[in-house]
Amino acid sequence: MTKKDEPILRIEHLEKYYGDLHVLKDISIDVAESEVVVVIGASGSGKSTLLRCVNFLEHAQKGNIYLDGEHIKPVNKVLNRIRQDVGMVFQHFNLFPHMTVIENVIEGPVHVKGVPKKAARERGYQLLEKVGLEDKAEIYPEMLSGGQKQRVAIARALAMQPKVMLFDEPTSALDPELVGEVIGVMEELGKEGMTMVVVTHEMWFAKEAADRVIFMDEGVILEEGAPEQMFSAPKEKRTQEFLRQILNT
Amino acid sequence: MNINLPWDLSVVPEKFFLFRDAALLTLEITTLGILTGLVLGLIVALGKLSQHQFTSKLASAYIFVIRGTPLLLQLFIIYYGLTSIVTIPPFPSAIIALGVHNGAYIGEIFRGAIQSIHYGQMEAARSLGMTHRKAMRRIILPQAFKRAVPPLGNQFIIALKDSSLASTIAVPELLLRGRQMGSSTFMYMEMLIIVALWYLIMTSLLTYGVHRLEQRLKVSDHD
Repeated sequence: MTKKDEPILRIEHLEKYYGDLHVLKDISIDVAESEVVVVIGASGSGKSTLLRCVNFLEHAQKGNIYLDGEHIKPVNKVLNRIRQDVGMVFQHFNLFPHMTVIENVIEGPVHVKGVPKKAARERGYQLLEKVGLEDKAEIYPEMLSGGQKQRVAIARALAMQPKVMLFDEPTSALDPELVGEVIGVMEELGKEGMTMVVVTHEMWFAKEAADRVIFMDEGVILEEGAPEQMFSAPKEKRTQEFLRQILNT
Repeated sequence: MNINLPWDLSVVPEKFFLFRDAALLTLEITTLGILTGLVLGLIVALGKLSQHQFTSKLASAYIFVIRGTPLLLQLFIIYYGLTSIVTIPPFPSAIIALGVHNGAYIGEIFRGAIQSIHYGQMEAARSLGMTHRKAMRRIILPQAFKRAVPPLGNQFIIALKDSSLASTIAVPELLLRGRQMGSSTFMYMEMLIIVALWYLIMTSLLTYGVHRLEQRLKVSDHD
């Protein structure tokens, strides 16, 4: 087990280029156990790329990632193990369309971890109950609304019992009236002590649920702090502008 | 009005079932050829999509050669050309040729289907900790197979008709049977009409089968 004062996730001096485009510039973040970190910033600020670098869906050219004290070597064998401990929720859900909801949820436990199917299904049903969708377990994802799909995706990620959950703009593809149900589930998770890194434009989630808000701009962390401070008295001019714009829309 | 046809069509129903065994042989060549083609096609598709440069180039070369030369030539190479190394009887020669030929086309069908699956599916699978291989097998290929069904059906029909080339190396399938019956009865047209009817029946059944399969897959298709 981790000592409380040691970060469960450490991102250290990350540098990422797409060709000549320098998208992440010396990014370092420590995330403590049970902390909810919300990353905000304009499109193209590099916040999604940052998340994707954490579980190596993209490879940063420089820098280190530590999970629970372990320095992650970017080789397949290590990554396949590490990714089991890092849940990821995508903007476009990416549910498996050829599987029912419960099959989606138990796919990881059964086929990656080797959990017996019966036990995985029991746990899967509990998770679906937690996200309010136990009655949808046996249907296919196409029958679900966007909000329901995203809640299934959260259950699927939770089924792996990850140490950290990453959310990549989880509500950006949703109709406005469906945002609340997904945010609600995420708030609940935060309260239960799940460590979360969330990239989002939902400022009220940041206000309500975040322990810390990070503002990214053009590939750098421009400012970070507690939500009260960030929203009431941001120091940087860019942060002020961004928040004014996004809170007025 | 009385039109006098130069042919005696009454022999068509009369002799129709004399072609049954030949039709079965056509069906056998086609089925075995397609099965071989499906296996080769999967290997070719995965090879072509492989990160491994050499594997990918090899798959491309295979497609280049097979698609760029006639099936009849490929059949002759296997049946006549290889005799100095190995003698392959007509029936297996036909199956090998049809299989190798279809492997290239089916490989391209599979490759297209695999690439049509959104990359988010692979990312979601990998984010659960799946290996690339397992993600392919459990997540990508089942979806890709579904999308490949309509073009595969088309390819199967082509293969069924292409099996007639086996007549050139003395496999007594439908077309050869038609020619033999024609020359022994001097009723070429009548016999060839029977052959045509048999092909039409088989392609119709195949079309219907593929259509049914498409409908069934649609029930659980969700994109």
